[in-house]
Amino acid sequence: MLKWTSCVRRIWSLSIKEFIHLINDWWMPAFMLFGGVIELLLVGWATSRPITNLPLMVLDRDQSAASRTVVTALENTGTFALKALAPDMETIQDALERGQINAAVIIPPDFDNEVASPIGRPTLAILLNGAESIPATAALRAIEGVASDMGEGVILERLGLEPDDFAGFAPSLRVWFNEALSEALYTTPAELGLMLEFTTLLFAALSFSRERELGTLEQLLVMPFSSMEIIVGKSIPVILVGFFDFVLMLSMVHVAFGVPVRGSLPLLLILALGYLLVELGKGMVISVMSRTQHQAFLVVMMVGMMDFMFTGYAAPVESMPQIVQQVANVIPAYHWLTILRGVLLKGVGLEVLWPNVLALAILGLVIGTFSLRYVRRALN
Amino acid sequence: MEETPPIITTHALTRDFKKTRAVDSLDLAIQPGELFGLVGPDGAGKTTTLRLLAGLLDITSGSATVAGYDLAQQAEAIKSKIGYMAQQFSLYGELSVVENLSFFSDLYDVPRAELRERTERLLTFANLTEFKDRWAAHLSGGMQKKLALACTLIHEPEILLLDEPTTGVDPVSRREFWDILTELYLGGTTIVVSTPYMDEADRCSKVGLMYAGRMVVCAEPQQIRAQIEGDLIELQPDDWQTAHALIETLPGVLEVQTYGDLLHVFVDSADKRLPEIEAALKKQSIVHRGARRATARMEEAFISLIKRMEEE
Amino acid sequence: MSLRHLWAIIRKEIHHIMRDRATFILVLLTPIAMLFLMAYALTVDIEHVPIAILDFDRSTTSRAFVQRITEGKDLDLYALVDTLEKVEALLLRGEIKAALVIAPTFEQDLVALRGMSLQIVIDGTEPESGGFAVEHIGGRAEEFLSEALASYIQTLDVSLDSLQPIDLRVRTLYNPSLKPRVDLIPGLISMVLGFPALSVALTLAHEREHGTLEQVMATPVGRAELLLGKMIPYVIVGLINVIVIPAVARLTFRIPFNGSFPLFFLLSAVFLFALLSMGMILGVFIRTQPAALALSFLVIFFPGFFLTGIFFPIASMPEIMRLESLGLPGTHYAIITRGLFLTGVGLDVLWPYSVMLMGLGIAFTMVGALFFKKKLG
Repeated sequence: MLKWTSCVRRIWSLSIKEFIHLINDWWMPAFMLFGGVIELLLVGWATSRPITNLPLMVLDRDQSAASRTVVTALENTGTFALKALAPDMETIQDALERGQINAAVIIPPDFDNEVASPIGRPTLAILLNGAESIPATAALRAIEGVASDMGEGVILERLGLEPDDFAGFAPSLRVWFNEALSEALYTTPAELGLMLEFTTLLFAALSFSRERELGTLEQLLVMPFSSMEIIVGKSIPVILVGFFDFVLMLSMVHVAFGVPVRGSLPLLLILALGYLLVELGKGMVISVMSRTQHQAFLVVMMVGMMDFMFTGYAAPVESMPQIVQQVANVIPAYHWLTILRGVLLKGVGLEVLWPNVLALAILGLVIGTFSLRYVRRALN
Repeated sequence: MEETPPIITTHALTRDFKKTRAVDSLDLAIQPGELFGLVGPDGAGKTTTLRLLAGLLDITSGSATVAGYDLAQQAEAIKSKIGYMAQQFSLYGELSVVENLSFFSDLYDVPRAELRERTERLLTFANLTEFKDRWAAHLSGGMQKKLALACTLIHEPEILLLDEPTTGVDPVSRREFWDILTELYLGGTTIVVSTPYMDEADRCSKVGLMYAGRMVVCAEPQQIRAQIEGDLIELQPDDWQTAHALIETLPGVLEVQTYGDLLHVFVDSADKRLPEIEAALKKQSIVHRGARRATARMEEAFISLIKRMEEE
Repeated sequence: MSLRHLWAIIRKEIHHIMRDRATFILVLLTPIAMLFLMAYALTVDIEHVPIAILDFDRSTTSRAFVQRITEGKDLDLYALVDTLEKVEALLLRGEIKAALVIAPTFEQDLVALRGMSLQIVIDGTEPESGGFAVEHIGGRAEEFLSEALASYIQTLDVSLDSLQPIDLRVRTLYNPSLKPRVDLIPGLISMVLGFPALSVALTLAHEREHGTLEQVMATPVGRAELLLGKMIPYVIVGLINVIVIPAVARLTFRIPFNGSFPLFFLLSAVFLFALLSMGMILGVFIRTQPAALALSFLVIFFPGFFLTGIFFPIASMPEIMRLESLGLPGTHYAIITRGLFLTGVGLDVLWPYSVMLMGLGIAFTMVGALFFKKKLG
C-alpha cells in the first residue's frame, strides 16, 4: 500500500512539473486548443458556403427572348456572377487563358428558332476552365440545371402535356442524417476527429524529444522515477489537454455549425478517451525515436497524412483498391472517424459500432503494449 | 593613470526585469588596460551587467558609455570593439573548432589576409590545434570555454567581457585560462570578467563586489582585504557549533565565520585574544586543533562585507 | 548589407541542416511525400459504391430498370430489400451509402408519361458517395426513360431525341477529363512548400532555445543579414523540391506541364522567398519551437489550405476572406502553377502575380527585420 502511494505521489509531482512547463510556454497549449478551434471555424465556414459568384461570360449570338431567358436563368442560379456579355470569341478565349472566368456560354444565332420549332434542336456551347476543376464542375452542374429546366418546358410543349400531369423526370431525393446537405456537417466531424489525432500525436511526440534536445532528459533519468512512472507522469498532461481540446471543439462545432449529437454523448466521450490513449501510444514511440523536436514534428506530419488518407475524409475508402481497404482496418483513425460520424450524425451506439470499437480496442492494446515496451527500453 | 579617461563608464545604470531590479543604479569607471573582476553571489546582477555593457539588453534607466560610444544610442557600434563571452556554451555544436572560428571571423570582418595567421595563433594559444576539426559539441567543458574565448579574440578587440568563463571547468584548465587572461592583460586589453571564485578575484587589478544589483565595493584587491577589521584567527574545533556560539560571546571577538570544518574568528588583536579563546574552549572541554593567526583572504572579506549588507 | 556576413550565416546554416542527417532527409522528403499522399487521397475515383434497392413495383419494367442501374462497376448492389426499415438499418450501419426506392406505381406512371416515380435515399454524412449515386442513378434513369418513351414519341410529329432537348456541347479546356487531380496537384505544390517555411520559423526559435543566438547577437552582424542568411538555405531546399515534384507529378499522376520550366523555377524561387519570409516573421516573435510549430500551422498551413483558392474558389469567399487570401503567397503561386502546368501561359499573363509575390516577400522581410531586435529578453 505504501509503495503505491509513494508511486502515485511521484507521478503526481512529475505531472505538476509538466503542467508548469505548459504554463510557462503557454503559447503551445494555447495554440493547440484555440488553433484547433480556429481551424474548425475556418473549415466549417469555408466549406459550408456554396459555390457562388463564379465569373461567367456569355456570348449571345441570338439576341432573342429565348437567349435572354437563358442569361437570366443563369444569373438566377446564384452560382454565377455574370462578368460580361462578351462581344466575340477572342474576349472569351483571352479571359479563359488568364483564368479570369470559370465558364463561358455561347448561344448560337438560331437558338430561339430551334426552341420554338417542333422539330428544332437547340444547342448551347459551353467552355469550361478546367484549370480549376472544382468550380468548373459546379458551373457545369448549374448550367445543366438551367438547360434541364428549359428543356422540360420544351418537352411539355411538344408533347402537349399539362405541367401538372408530368411528375418530372428527376427522381425525388431524400437525404438522411444530413437533411440540409450542409457541407459543414460532414467536414467538421472529420476535422474534429483529425484534430484530436493530430493534437494528441504532436503533443505526445514532443514530450520526450523536447527534453532530449534541450538536454534535460538525462537529469530526468537520474531522478528516482521508474520508467513507468515517467511515462505515466508525462502522459497525464497530454491526456488532459487532448481531452479538454476535444470537448471544447465538439461544443464549438455544435454551437457554431449545428452539428448534432444524436447518439450518446457519454459513450462518445469514453470512446474519445480511448482513442486518445491509442494515439498517445503512437506519439510516445515517435518522441523517443526522435532526437529533436523538428524531427518529431515531421514524423507526426507523415503519420498524420497517411492516416488522413484512410479516414474517408477526402475520398470514400470503399473506392480504394482492396489492399488499401484492408490496411484501413488497422488504422485507428479510420475506426475513430466511423465512430464519430456514427454517434454524432447517425445517432447510433454500440449495437452498430461494436466492430469499430472492438478494432480500436485491439489496436489500442497492440500499439499500447508495443509502445510501452519500446519506450521503457529506450529510457533504460 | 587618472588623466586617461575610463574606457567603460556607467552612471546610475539600472535594469529591471518583470518583478526584479537586476542592476540597481550602478556606477562604474573602468580604466583602459584594467583586468576588472566582477564578483558576487548568484543573482547579484553580474551577468545582467555584462549583457548590458555588450549591448544585449536594453537599459531601463541611467546611462553608460563603452569605448566612447553611448550604450543607449550606439549599441551596434560597440559590438565591433568588444569581445563578449556568454556564460552558457553558446557556440554551434555541430560546427568544428575552425568552422566556429571562421564563422565569427566573418561576422567581425577580420581582414582575410590575417585570418590564417590569427587562427593558428589562437589555436595554439588555447591548446586546441590538435582538435581543430572536431565538432564543438564533442569537446570537453574546458576546451569549449577556451574555444569560446578564442572566438571573442579573433578580431583583437580592445575590450573583453567574459561572463563566468571558468565556471564548471576543471582546476587545471582554470589555471590555464587565467594564464591566458593575464597574458592578454599584459598585452593591454581591457578585460571585465565575472566570477564566483574568490581566489580569482585576487588575480584582478581591480575588483567590484556586487550584491542584489548594487556595487558594494570597488577597489584593488589589497584594499578590499584590508577592509576587514581586525586580525584573523583560524582553528578547527571538534564541536564547531558549540565553539561558534561560545566564541561569539567572548570579548574582542568581532565576527565568527565558518569555513568547512574550520572557524575563522576576527578579533581586535590576535596576540591578545588567541590565548583567551583557547582558554575558554578548554574550560568547556571543547577539543580543538590548529589555532593560529591567518591572513584574511578575499573570501573572508566578501563574506564579511555581504553580512554587513544583509544587516543593513 | 555585408555579403561576407550574409554568406557566413548561410554557410553556418547549411552545415547545421546537413549535419543532422535524419532531419535533413525528413525536411527534403516531407513535401514530396505529402504531395503524393494528398494527391492520391484527394483524387480517388469513386466506384463500387454499395447501394440497396427497394422495389415496391416488381414489374417487368422495374426489374429491367434495376438491371440497368447495377450494370458496371460504379454501383454495387449490396442488397435487395423489402422494407424501408431495412434500408434505414443498412444506412445506419454504413453498409450502404444510398438506396433506390421504386414506387409501386413505377411502371404505370412511366407508361402514362407521368414521369419516373423514384426516390433516392442517400447517406448525407458522405455526400461524395451519395452524390455520386444520385448522379449515376439519375443518369441511367434518364436513359431508361428515353428509351421507354422512344416508341411513343415516334408516333408524334415532334422531334425529341432525348429528355434533354437542349443539347449542351461542352468543351473543357486545360483539363479535359475534369479530373480534380490534374488541377489540384499544381495547387498542392503551393501547400507542401509550406514545410520549408515551417523550418524557417523553427530555426530562430531553435537558436533561442539552445542559447546560440546570444553569442551571435553580440557581434556586429546586421538584422537583415541574420534573417536572410537563415532563410536562404531553406529556399534552396524548397527549390530542390520544386525540381523534383513536377517530375514525380508527371510520372505518377500524368500531370501535364505546358509552360516554361525556367520560368517555373524562377517564379518558384520568388514564391519561396515570400512564403519563407512569412515563416521568418513567426520566428522573430516566437521564443520556443513548439510555439513556432503551433503558430506555423495557424498562419501558414491552414490558410494555405483553405484560403488560397486551391480547393474552394476565391470568388465564392466572403469579402474579408478574399482580402486575406490576397496577402497569402500561396494564392498567387497557385494561379502561377495552374497557369504554367495546365494553361501554358507565360510571364505576359502571370506578371501581376509575380509582382505581388515579390512585393509580399519584401514586405515580410522588412517587417521581420524591423521587429527583430538584437537583444535578449
